[in-house]
Amino acid sequence: MKKIVAVLIVWIACSNVIAQSTSSLVDKSPMDISYYPDNYPVLRIQNKVSGPLLARAVYSRPQKNNRVVFGNLIEFDKIWRLGANEATEIEFFQNVKINNVRIKKGRYTIYTIPKENSWTLVLNKETDTWGAFRYDMAKDIVRVELPVEKQKEVTEYFTIAFEKATAGFTMMITWDDVKVALPVYL
Amino acid sequence: MTAFSKLTGALFTLSITILFFSCMQKNNNDKEATLQDSLSTIANNEYANVDRSPMDITYYPPSYPEEKMNNTNQPTTPVARIIYSRPHKKNRIIFSDSEKSICQYGKLWRLGANEATEIEFFKPVIINNKNIPAGRYGMYCIPFKDKWILALNTNLYTWGLDIQPEKDVIRIEVPVQKQQPSLEDFTIVLAPASYGADMLIAWDDVKTVLPLMFL
Repeated sequence: MKKIVAVLIVWIACSNVIAQSTSSLVDKSPMDISYYPDNYPVLRIQNKVSGPLLARAVYSRPQKNNRVVFGNLIEFDKIWRLGANEATEIEFFQNVKINNVRIKKGRYTIYTIPKENSWTLVLNKETDTWGAFRYDMAKDIVRVELPVEKQKEVTEYFTIAFEKATAGFTMMITWDDVKVALPVYL
Repeated sequence: MTAFSKLTGALFTLSITILFFSCMQKNNNDKEATLQDSLSTIANNEYANVDRSPMDITYYPPSYPEEKMNNTNQPTTPVARIIYSRPHKKNRIIFSDSEKSICQYGKLWRLGANEATEIEFFKPVIINNKNIPAGRYGMYCIPFKDKWILALNTNLYTWGLDIQPEKDVIRIEVPVQKQQPSLEDFTIVLAPASYGADMLIAWDDVKTVLPLMFL
């Protein structure tokens, strides 16, 4: 019994004391920002920027942690915040087009309704919100159905990244063995 | 010796071993150069690596997104939000005169890690008797032993190692307060005050408070 107590004491003393921040805890699913052009802030300080900032996504990155993600942790046919914690925000710095709908520059919340073979991505006007718990369809700007690609390598952390495309850019969403690509037109 | 006590003995040895190696790892991490450190990651990912200093967001009113979810009569827009990254102390000296400290006295610091820290006001505010229009600003500081100079700046969407003081909108001096116990993770919060909000910035044994007045 003494040894159990000793083990516990060592672990508590040595674990990187996330609980020590009294005023604001560190999130289990860290927040991150993705940019298009990719890596824009670093390119700026290296003087390698060739065009203006067009988009950024502010999102949190849950981990797979050996769980089956889609159809289990994230249920099919239910709206999901596309991340963790706060709802995921996408900001366009100029007007764009998604699924032939003109999107004014500005901040939006992006959700998804995942199915096994396709996802419906939803762009919504209500920003600065938590999760999809108060999702209001009346504030949708556009919905677009996208095919699900299966990938061989598992992505541990939920990931949003942007890539160049011929007529604009693509927002790549990957987690576990699933990948979805949203085309954005300029 | 019962099987149970053998098991706890083995667990104890394992814990000590892991502790030893994790501490060695920390010492190695301390030697990383600034840019490398700020670009360092905890997980490789084909599309976007995961940062060692995680990003976070803080709102005024406090926890605005959660409060809005709980529908507790929140205003339709928040007053302010800050996006910043949260480095860990990891047994290092954070604030001092020494070049080896993470934030050397007198040197510009991005108030976080990775990207330059960003503050957005959704309504105009008053800081130090000056009207600050609604909008987005970069935020940085120059720490000293007894005071910090905090600055709002128009240089946005940039990595925090190229601060451009010529783009400052305002600079404010705030006193340094000591705090115990030491805070492991760099923290910014916006706390309610009679005149508006206090921006509380804390790390290690140091804390500063910047009053924000709302119109």
